[in-house]
Amino acid sequence: MILVVAEHRGGTLNRATWEAVAAAQLLAERMGGAPIRIAVLGAAGGVPQELAAAGVGDVLVLADPALEPYTPDGYVIALAGAIASVSPRFVALSHTYQTRDFVPALAARLNRPLVTDVTAVSEGAGGLTFTRPMFQGKLAAEVRPVGDAPCLVTFQIGAFRADQVRKGTTPSPVTDVPVTIDRAAIRQTPDAPFQEAKQAVDLSQAARIVAVGRGIKSKEHLPVAESLATALGAELAASRPICDSGWLPMERQIGSSGQTVAPKLYVALGISGAIQHLVGMKGSRTIVAINKDADAPIFEVADYGIVGDLFELVPALVAELEKK
Amino acid sequence: MSRETLEVDVLIVGGGPAGLSAALRLVQLQKERGGEPLSIAVLEKARDAGAHMLSGAVLDPSTLRDLIPDFREKGAPLAADVRRDRVYFFTERSNLRFPVIPSPLRNHGNYIISLNKFVGWLAAQIDGQGVDLFSGFAGQHVLTEGARVVGVRTGDRGIDRQGVQKPAFEPGVDILAKVTIFCDGVRGNLTKELLRRFQLGRGRQPEQFAIGLKELWEVPPDRLEPGTVVHSMGYPLRHDEFGGGFIYALPEGQLSVGFVAGLNYRDPLFDPHMAFNRFKRHPFVRRLLDGGQMIRYGAKALPEGGWNTIPRPYMDGALIAGDAGGFLNSMRLKGIHLAMRTGMLAAESAFEAVRSGDTSAAALARYQEKIDRSAVKTELYPVRNVHQAFDLGLFTGLAFAGLTLMTRGRWVEDLHGHAGHERMKTLTWYYGAPAYANASASAGASADRSAGKPGSLAPSNATEVDRRLTFDKLTNVHYSGAAHDEDQPPHLLVHTEVCSSICGPEYGHPCTRFCPAHVYDIVQEPGGPRLQINASNCVHCKTCDIMDPYGVITWVPPEGGGGPQYNGM
Repeated sequence: MILVVAEHRGGTLNRATWEAVAAAQLLAERMGGAPIRIAVLGAAGGVPQELAAAGVGDVLVLADPALEPYTPDGYVIALAGAIASVSPRFVALSHTYQTRDFVPALAARLNRPLVTDVTAVSEGAGGLTFTRPMFQGKLAAEVRPVGDAPCLVTFQIGAFRADQVRKGTTPSPVTDVPVTIDRAAIRQTPDAPFQEAKQAVDLSQAARIVAVGRGIKSKEHLPVAESLATALGAELAASRPICDSGWLPMERQIGSSGQTVAPKLYVALGISGAIQHLVGMKGSRTIVAINKDADAPIFEVADYGIVGDLFELVPALVAELEKK
Repeated sequence: MSRETLEVDVLIVGGGPAGLSAALRLVQLQKERGGEPLSIAVLEKARDAGAHMLSGAVLDPSTLRDLIPDFREKGAPLAADVRRDRVYFFTERSNLRFPVIPSPLRNHGNYIISLNKFVGWLAAQIDGQGVDLFSGFAGQHVLTEGARVVGVRTGDRGIDRQGVQKPAFEPGVDILAKVTIFCDGVRGNLTKELLRRFQLGRGRQPEQFAIGLKELWEVPPDRLEPGTVVHSMGYPLRHDEFGGGFIYALPEGQLSVGFVAGLNYRDPLFDPHMAFNRFKRHPFVRRLLDGGQMIRYGAKALPEGGWNTIPRPYMDGALIAGDAGGFLNSMRLKGIHLAMRTGMLAAESAFEAVRSGDTSAAALARYQEKIDRSAVKTELYPVRNVHQAFDLGLFTGLAFAGLTLMTRGRWVEDLHGHAGHERMKTLTWYYGAPAYANASASAGASADRSAGKPGSLAPSNATEVDRRLTFDKLTNVHYSGAAHDEDQPPHLLVHTEVCSSICGPEYGHPCTRFCPAHVYDIVQEPGGPRLQINASNCVHCKTCDIMDPYGVITWVPPEGGGGPQYNGM
């Protein structure tokens, strides 16, 4: 059995959980069809029902007042108890900031192996093998866990696709699993979460990004790109010259001196594609480039390239998108 | 604001070949002479020793042998013994090999090295010897008391773009020293301050510089036998432009490929980086690089003026050594051994002065005597006029160099050189009035385009950029590893009002061309052209500080630790 640990904040499911479910399904298949269960901790609102609706496996709700707010100690105690009672072979988690916060302590508490940031699962000669990056991605290590079950595995965000979760035909049952946590055992007293800057945007979490470059020519033309972003439900980002000129805030800069992103869709408008920009976005699943210059290096990484004037093409695209 | 102060006996500014040789020599003198140990500190702006070091490089081991006689046993990183010298004269499509190698270019007994690795090794030699090496700290200001240099203030850390203190703000530290040895390299920002405040260049000729651009390549094996040293002159430079190319073969299929262009060219539309691209497109070079891969890029200015341009290198409480003082032999294309030698001599002078309790200019003048008695003068004095002769053109320069070799530099009267940036001509002078009218109309609009079109401000020597053999500056910069904290004040101080009002019409914004790292960008805006400074691209070559025709660009050190990362260069 594989236990997936869902992540949510205040009743909103982190979409990376679906990637962990997809990875767990792949793992289950390699194990010859092991069942999957999903653990949800704390007051999760509609999250258990949302997960149950997909019909991928039983949803276990671990609720205790001591799990609010999130603390690493609370999660470790609750999960250690649940794991002891359901005895999974693997515990699957998405490699999020929260997971990174508590999972090492959980592995230590259980005295079980932990494989982090896994990008692929394969069947090797000696059994199941996980691939994970080392030295900032310069090397890929193949790891085979040994010892007693369970083994804890965290999956890299973006390595498995949420839309490849095979959903069941009937909703799965939701079961309450009683947990008792002694508040005195929780050593952390967290403050309320806050955002460092107003309107801070985390582009790395965006599913779609429309990025503008120097081809936009002036700040007054930004609404052209904004209209496409709105039509696509995308975040707006930019290459360095745009942010340097102060047309968009620095936090929306993509590239070696800005953010590294890997959205499902990256639309590059008037971006020539200097190597400094490419290193920040070349991991995107689908790259669409619009540029006047047919020799622009952006076309070397683009899946779909249009040589043309973005001021003609973007309104046409927006009009088409709005028809639907 | 209260600043920390630190007091030492000898402060060395700059952890390059000169500074580290000085530090090591001080350690040696202390061991030889005994007595109360001197406190020694070295400031280095790079995060790791050697990270900002760039040179060809062929090392004349004469100084190394004196400083570290057992350098082989100690594992000095000498990549290859020079086995073969080649000198070529290039025309656009062919080359002519010199049947006899002129003696200054004979490298038998020398070594091809990576200066980055070599300096890293030198730093390891002073490790554990009681020297404080502060890497990641740049000297920002010279501290003086009257006419006496008393130390250096390091740069503040943690200031944002607008000049406001960030939460992690740390004020710079005042390091006070009995003697400060300035080894801050070519056009060092502190040495520049000293030259101005103490008029150290009075009675000397103006300093002269060149810019060197270099790439490290990995090529299929057997292209060039390791230990081969190739120099070229002629194409892609015109006869009134000084410079040439070099290719040094390292082991394991690595080639050090570079190009040096004098920063005294007349054509305001000349672009040294494009000259380097053209050099690589020459059939001879292309054959060597074809199918290979560029793995590193860098650029650095070099002092070419020679003996007559070296400023007075001593004053009350301070000495100047290495490239900062212009100790480089441009005829032999070598300066590392002279940097090391002057570093050693400065250390000896500083040691004696501190021990005698007299660190005045009169006491430190011993340094000049030591230089005059050393191999530095023996080597530089005879060729003191050669670089200046190249001002008159390649062939005059070559003829003069030949004469110098025969006569050992005995001349009645010295040739007088000019500061390179003063030689740059205006667009009108160089291209005539019509081109100038054209040029100003399209100012900047196509300045970032590689294709040269008549009347545009694109480089006059523009050539094709294929991103395999030849590169645009931005791509090259990526391979220099240059990185700076983005949220800090620009470290290039420019009187920008000059840019659009005078410099555009007169010279066509030459900063966009002579900068090898795309730091300067002219952006066309409704209100007219605006200079955009991409300071975080800067590879600390100092060319802008040297070559800007109005002298309105001042390079100051960015927050310590920022800059290029010249691994293996």
